[in-house]
Parts: sequence; C-alpha cells; structure tokens
Amino acid sequence: MTDAITGDLAATPGRKPKSSLLAQDALTRRRNASEARFKYYGIAAICVSLLTLAIMLYTIFSDGVGAFQQAKLTFPVTLDAERLDPSGNRSREDLMKVTTIGYASLLGDALNAEVAARGIQIDGLDGRMINDMVSRDAPARVRNMVLADPSLLGQTITVQVYATGRIDGYLKGRVTRETAARDANVSVEQLDLADELRAAGILTTGFNSGFLTNPDASDQRPESAGLGVAIIGSIYMMVMVLLFTLPVGVAASIYLEEFAPKNRFTDIIEINISNLAAVPSIVFGILGLAIFINFMGLPQSSSLVGALVISLMTLPTIIIATRASLRAVPPSIRQAALGVGASQTQTVFHHVLPLAMPGILTGTILGLATALGETAPLLLIGMVAFVTNFPRGPLDGGVLDPATALPVQVYSWASRADPAFIERSSGAIIVLLAFLVVMNAVAILLRRRFERRW
Amino acid sequence: MNDMRILERDLDTNDNKIAARGVQVYYGTTHALKDVDVDILDKTVTAFIGPSGCGKSTFLRCLNRMNDTIASCRVEGQIKLDSEDIYDPKVDPVQLRAKVGMVFQKPNPFPKSIYDNVAYGPKIHGLTKSKAELDEVVEKSLRRAALWNEVKDRLDAAGTGLSGGQQQRLCIARAVATAPEVLLMDEPCSALDPIATAQVEELIDELRSQFSVVIVTHSMQQAARVSQKTAFFHLGNLVEYGETGQIFTNPKDPRTESYITGRIG
Repeated sequence: MTDAITGDLAATPGRKPKSSLLAQDALTRRRNASEARFKYYGIAAICVSLLTLAIMLYTIFSDGVGAFQQAKLTFPVTLDAERLDPSGNRSREDLMKVTTIGYASLLGDALNAEVAARGIQIDGLDGRMINDMVSRDAPARVRNMVLADPSLLGQTITVQVYATGRIDGYLKGRVTRETAARDANVSVEQLDLADELRAAGILTTGFNSGFLTNPDASDQRPESAGLGVAIIGSIYMMVMVLLFTLPVGVAASIYLEEFAPKNRFTDIIEINISNLAAVPSIVFGILGLAIFINFMGLPQSSSLVGALVISLMTLPTIIIATRASLRAVPPSIRQAALGVGASQTQTVFHHVLPLAMPGILTGTILGLATALGETAPLLLIGMVAFVTNFPRGPLDGGVLDPATALPVQVYSWASRADPAFIERSSGAIIVLLAFLVVMNAVAILLRRRFERRW
Repeated sequence: MNDMRILERDLDTNDNKIAARGVQVYYGTTHALKDVDVDILDKTVTAFIGPSGCGKSTFLRCLNRMNDTIASCRVEGQIKLDSEDIYDPKVDPVQLRAKVGMVFQKPNPFPKSIYDNVAYGPKIHGLTKSKAELDEVVEKSLRRAALWNEVKDRLDAAGTGLSGGQQQRLCIARAVATAPEVLLMDEPCSALDPIATAQVEELIDELRSQFSVVIVTHSMQQAARVSQKTAFFHLGNLVEYGETGQIFTNPKDPRTESYITGRIG
C-alpha cells in the first residue's frame, strides 16, 4: 500500500494543483478582510470606552482631590474668662449665654494680635479683613471645646482652625488675584496676608479628615462641609437593604425555582419580577413617599425609609441573579441528591444552595452597589435635606433620624453656588467610587472563596 | 466472568422483589410506556435493553419515582415493592428512594470530599449513631464498590477530582451506603472506558449477592455478561422478558431477534 502511494507521487513530479494553497482565493480574502475589520471595530470600541473612563476619572480626580486637603490657621488664643464667662461662676447655663459671635470676636482679636506680633504689615489691610480670614466654623468649635471643659477658661491655648473657603481656594489655585479683585468675599490684601502667614507657618495645608467626619455645612462655610452624615446614612441604608433583601430575595427565588408549580399564576409573578427590575427608580421614590411616609407615617428623610425604598428596587435584581445562579447548578447534582433519598428541601439546602452561593453573593453585592449610587428615589423621600446633626446609633433609633446619602450629597453640593462646593462634590464622588471599588472587590473575593468545581 | 456460558447460568433465588402491572407513562400527551408487566427478582441482575427512546430509562425511573420530578410526567398502573404499591398516596418518595438506590448515566459525585459523598446518605437517613459507625459504613461501602484501596489515603480529597471510572464507583458506593434493597443503574458504563467498564461490571456481579440490581444498557454484550434476566423494550412496549440466555440465543419475538442481530435499533 505504502509503495503504491510513493510510486504514484514519484510518477507525477510536477503535477499542478487544481488550486494553489499558497495564494488566497477571492472568497478567502473577503472573509479574512471582514474578520480583520471586525477585530478593529472591537479594538476601537474598547479604546473609546477606556478613553471615556480615563477622561471621567481624570476630571473627577483633578476636581476632587483638593477636597482632601484643607488650609488651616494655627495660632495661640487666650480664652479670656471675663469675655467668655461674664458671671464668673463657670456654670454651664451661663457659659451657654455667650454665643459664637463672642467667640468670633475673640478669635479675630487673637489672630490680629498674632499678625501684629509677627510684624506683618500690609497696606490697606484692616482688622476686619483679618477677622474674616477665619472660618465661621471656628468659633463654634472653640465654644464647644470650652463648654466641654470650662477649666480651659483663662488659659492660652494654641488652636488649629479652618481658614475660609476663599483662602483655601487661593492655596489650591482656584482663587487668583484677578478673581479676588472682582470678588466681594475676598480682597487682594487678604491674599497678600495669606502669603505672609504661610511664610510664617501660621497658615498650613494638611490632610482634611474633617471631609470624612464633619456633617454638611451652610453656604457660607464650605470649608467645614463634610461627608460624615452622608457616609453614616449610606452605611445604615446598605446594611438595612442587605438585611431586608437577601433573605426575602433568596427565599422567593428558591421557592420560584425549586418548589413552585409551573402554572399561569407563577408565570405572571415571574413576568412582574422582571418588569419591576425595569421600573424607573423615581417611581419607587413616589411609591415610598405615598406608602412609607404618608400612609405608614414613618419619618421623612430617615435612612429607614430610604432603605425600604431602595430594597424595593434591589429586590428584583437580587431575585433575578439568585434564580440565574440556582438554574446554573447542574441538574445531575439534584438527581444525585434525590437519588440517595434526600428530600427536596435537603437537596436545595445541602447541595444546590451552596453551589449557587457565589453567584447569589456576587449578584447581591452588585445590586447593593447599584443601590449605593441610587439618588432619584431618595430625593422624593426627603433625604436631600440639609442635615447637620449626626443620626444616633442604629439601635437607639438612629435609623429614624434624618440622614443623607453619598450620592444625594454629591447632588446637593453640585447645585450650590460657591465653587468650593464643586470641589467637595467631586471629592464626594471619589469617596463614593472608593466604596464601590471596595464592594466589588468583596464580591470578587467572595466568589473566589466559595467557587467550587463540579 | 462466565459470559460464554450464559445458558448454563442458574438463578440463586426466585423471590419476587418488584412486581409491575399495567404501567403506563405519559409525558404530557406522549404515551411513552405502554402497559408494561414485569416481575423483578431479588438478588438478580435484570437488564433492560432496547433502542434509544424505547422507554427503558423511563421505566427504570418509575421504580424509584424519580419521574415525580418531571412536571409533565404521569404514571398509571401498579408497581409493588415487596407487595406494597409505591405509587400509593401514602408513600413518601423520599423513603422509597432510600430503599431503591440509583446510579446515573454520567458520574455525578457531589462537589464535596469522597468521605462526605458516601456519608451523605447514611447521615440524612439517620442510619448511624456515632462517627465511628459512620466511618465503618463509609469504609464498607467503598470496599464494596472496589474503590477503598484507591482512595483510603485521601478521603478528604474532592470526589470530583477522581477519574471517570472512580467517580462512577464512588456513586455506586454512595448508593450502596444507604443500604438499599434494589439498585437501579441507568447506563452506568456509557461514559467509561473499557477497563473502568469491566471493573463496574465485576462490581455489579458482586452486588447481586446483596441486592436486586436493575441495569439499563445500550450494550447487548454488557447485558449478556452481567444479567440473569433481560427485558427488551421497543417503542414503549415491553416486547420480551425472560432469562438472559434465552433472550440472546432463542428469542421468541421476531422484533427481539431483529434488534439482537442488529437489524433494528
């Protein structure tokens, strides 16, 4: 047999092939061209999306990083007992009678004295302008210090307080001498003084931990506005959403997937769950306003109502993700369990659910991540309010206290006039993104941890 | 194995284990199994043969009510296990399946350790009182499935990490561990290579001493090798049922003869 083949080949040494394999025919060329074109479309699409992401991140970070830095003034203040405690008996009621106006003038005088002591002379700069360098947040802070510890009265302490938003902006390059000349809130002389104070080490910039811990602040003092209430509100809501949705969602999915008879009624339920996932979020806000606040009488702006509304939105997502991962468990596992005499419930809880767990957890965390960024429904239930008091602890009824949430804080800062708030708004977006990255990382870790082959 | 002398093979017992009378199975409107009467003997290997879609697997799955899990499936007629009707409304299929174990076509160990795979059945049925007793059951079952020597040093390893033949023997050990009275096997060797197949067949022959084994197979050689009784199904009908030797050497029905000689199927 082998001989015959070699003989045949040898007999036709220069036989021409019907079509050469070395040259592409027209059809192959066209096919290859379309394949290459498709590859370039894909690469182009990826490039466009990466570029968009890069631009977005660059804008957010270049605008927002400044929010984590803050200009602060450090100078000695003598807490004059005669001005702060006219009655002289150190009782709390009498100390309370001195308002922040009294403290403001004290702080202003102290800074004026410090400027004079350093021998800083600037033409056209008056004492009032120096007073205005100090944030309006500072007197309240010093007052709280004194109220907490009246023995400070009469002592000279070194305080570190925020400089006003304009001075802060000058150090970050947002305010220049040209804009200051047109700005009623800041003068060129103040900027000159800022330079001098900086050289003297009184005005410094440092990490702004207050951005993460302070509550929101009014339009006049952007420098003291922080995300404290919003972060607590968001954490309260996410924990509650998880507690509300995971048990309900998983139980509903297991019933629908493993136990429910397949009839018209369950079909209708399934269609409705899919439809609920597509309902615009603001509709849920109106629903929450009508039912939870107007009908059930729960307090407005509270994180409980926010969590209930967001739970309604997240539930369909979690049910769909859970059902998909239950369905992905191979039927052979179910048969094996039933075959050794496990009941339907044992089959589900011993075998199917553990295998579906990574999918369920990933779906849940991604659902929560979406919920974390949800803004529209929260606007309708009053969580866009200006909240300066921290909610109480979650078990002391803090979930009923007014709170805001991170995305809502972004929205409300972005709509304020002072450019300092725009910086804070971008800073808040960075914090929000950090939360999302952490949640997604947790989702990936959990998936790795629970993933099993079968 | 004495596959060359099937005519001379004698039966150990003639006790009836399962008696099926007038069994009809419908999938929706499809009439999948028509009027099947079979007596399955204790401590005997019974083979179901027939072309694809003839209903042999369907009938097998009736015997431990695995068909209950298919919503559109409807079973009529009577199947008695030790003279108790298994389709009686009072019967809990879970209890039935503890008595009638099953091994599937594709090896399907749980994604757990080898030990947990075997121990799962005894655990959920409360067959053992202590850990030591459970260890003993696991070892006995693995030995009976001819797997013990291969896995005794790695009982904590994943059952899914074994080779195909080992996985199938693990599934047999898992089924044996619940101490069933009948073992159903749905083409247990179709995913295995010839060596693993030979091991499983040898195993089936040994299991016969304790249980009644019912095996569905596409391989007529396998049916001839392992079984004492053979049933031939065709288009939902039980065409012929008898001693394996008689079916393969002297079939009464012309359809059986055609199938065995390769003319239909």
